[in-house]
Amino acid sequence: MFTILIGIIILVGLIGFSIRDRQSLTAPEQFAKDAISWMQQIIHTPVEYVSSIITNLDDMKNVYKENQRLKEELSQYQQTLYEIQELRKENEELSSIIDKTDSDKLDAYHPIQASVTARSPEQWFQQVTINKGLQDGVEKNMAVITGKGMIGKIQSSSQFSSTVLLLNGFDRSNRISVKVNLPNQEEDASGFILGYDKEREALLLEFTDYDREIKEGTFVFSSGLGGVFPKGLEIGEIKEVTMDQYGLSQVAYVETSADLSNVHHVIVVDRMMDTSTQGVTGEEEE
Amino acid sequence: MSRIYIPLLLLFLFVMEGIAYDFIPSAMLDKGWLFIAHWAFIFIVLMALFYDLEYTYYSILAAVIIGLMTDVIYTDIIGVYMFAYGLVVYLIHGMRKVLHANFFVTLLLVILGVTLVDGGISFVYYFIGINNMLISDYLLQRLLPTLVLNVIVFCILYLIFKNRLSKWSVQRFDTKSS
Repeated sequence: MFTILIGIIILVGLIGFSIRDRQSLTAPEQFAKDAISWMQQIIHTPVEYVSSIITNLDDMKNVYKENQRLKEELSQYQQTLYEIQELRKENEELSSIIDKTDSDKLDAYHPIQASVTARSPEQWFQQVTINKGLQDGVEKNMAVITGKGMIGKIQSSSQFSSTVLLLNGFDRSNRISVKVNLPNQEEDASGFILGYDKEREALLLEFTDYDREIKEGTFVFSSGLGGVFPKGLEIGEIKEVTMDQYGLSQVAYVETSADLSNVHHVIVVDRMMDTSTQGVTGEEEE
Repeated sequence: MSRIYIPLLLLFLFVMEGIAYDFIPSAMLDKGWLFIAHWAFIFIVLMALFYDLEYTYYSILAAVIIGLMTDVIYTDIIGVYMFAYGLVVYLIHGMRKVLHANFFVTLLLVILGVTLVDGGISFVYYFIGINNMLISDYLLQRLLPTLVLNVIVFCILYLIFKNRLSKWSVQRFDTKSS
């Protein structure tokens, strides 16, 4: 009985210690995470190999149909590619006129490739572990993307591995500043991702201005104004637009572009523009 | 021998828990069912019943260590798993005096243990504010799938390790006393 009481005291103490918002992990935690992540990688590699063979077999059924569609799309891409080249050239010329370097751009980032080694079995924590850490330049709060779109952000990083908080584990304490692409208007609508709605299985987006007409199916991008994420990371597609519960602001439900339940290879986004120096120069200018 | 094998096996099961998500068919995940793997815990229950003697407490030590590792590596909050695993294994270890361990008794104890562990964890998380599921949703969406998954794994582990654990126990503790 006595040991149980001491156990409860230790439990409360440890919870209190770990629940507050910590900047970095303690050394023993980092060591444990790195060691286990290394082992997970060894086991995960053959498992993923086998499971990818199975999915490949599954995919083969649709190969013909897909091939037809891809050929059509490819011909369209050629044209867009040409357009992009022209635009890029023009952009470079214009940038050189006003002396803007690459590192000043909001959308410039340095990609860090990583593989997922494990996923938390406790599914109330939507976390995955990746095999890159502080030594590779991964730091807390960086955005994590796949080829399809954003999947989350770095929650904590130790020396050789990091933990990623997936988008469906987001709450109000980690909001993202986003823009919504409106095809027929010059300005994009802006807003914030407030969190994940578990019942609707979609992200909740609140708009800062409310008299815009927003259609379903438009894409949502990160705006780069939040401080940590670069501009232009695709987050998802708008599924439904409504008013919030008090009828004061317009909210939308956003379906994530990336498949969050099936993540294997990711890119950690290291924003090139240093946010701290940006703040300093901003103050100097004023 | 058991000094090396048991920690290695526990570590292997613990690492496998992190990969468990890949094995579960996505059709079931889409329904919102939560499958929580407590595989290392099941092995510790087997340890408590077949490996430990009445006066040895290796299973509880293992439960606390594995619980702490789960807390550090798979969740943000330290202490919850450690406490739940430790306490439930302590209870099961105490029960072995009363019960004769055959397959069905062990199965029953594993079901009871997993229910207690998972219920306890959810209860603590509910207070911290991580879990805000209703109790009826919890029972259907999390406890039931979790029990099914873990009972399947238990049957496999029981078949492989029951006799081995008893053998290791005899080897370890008899040689010490003689």
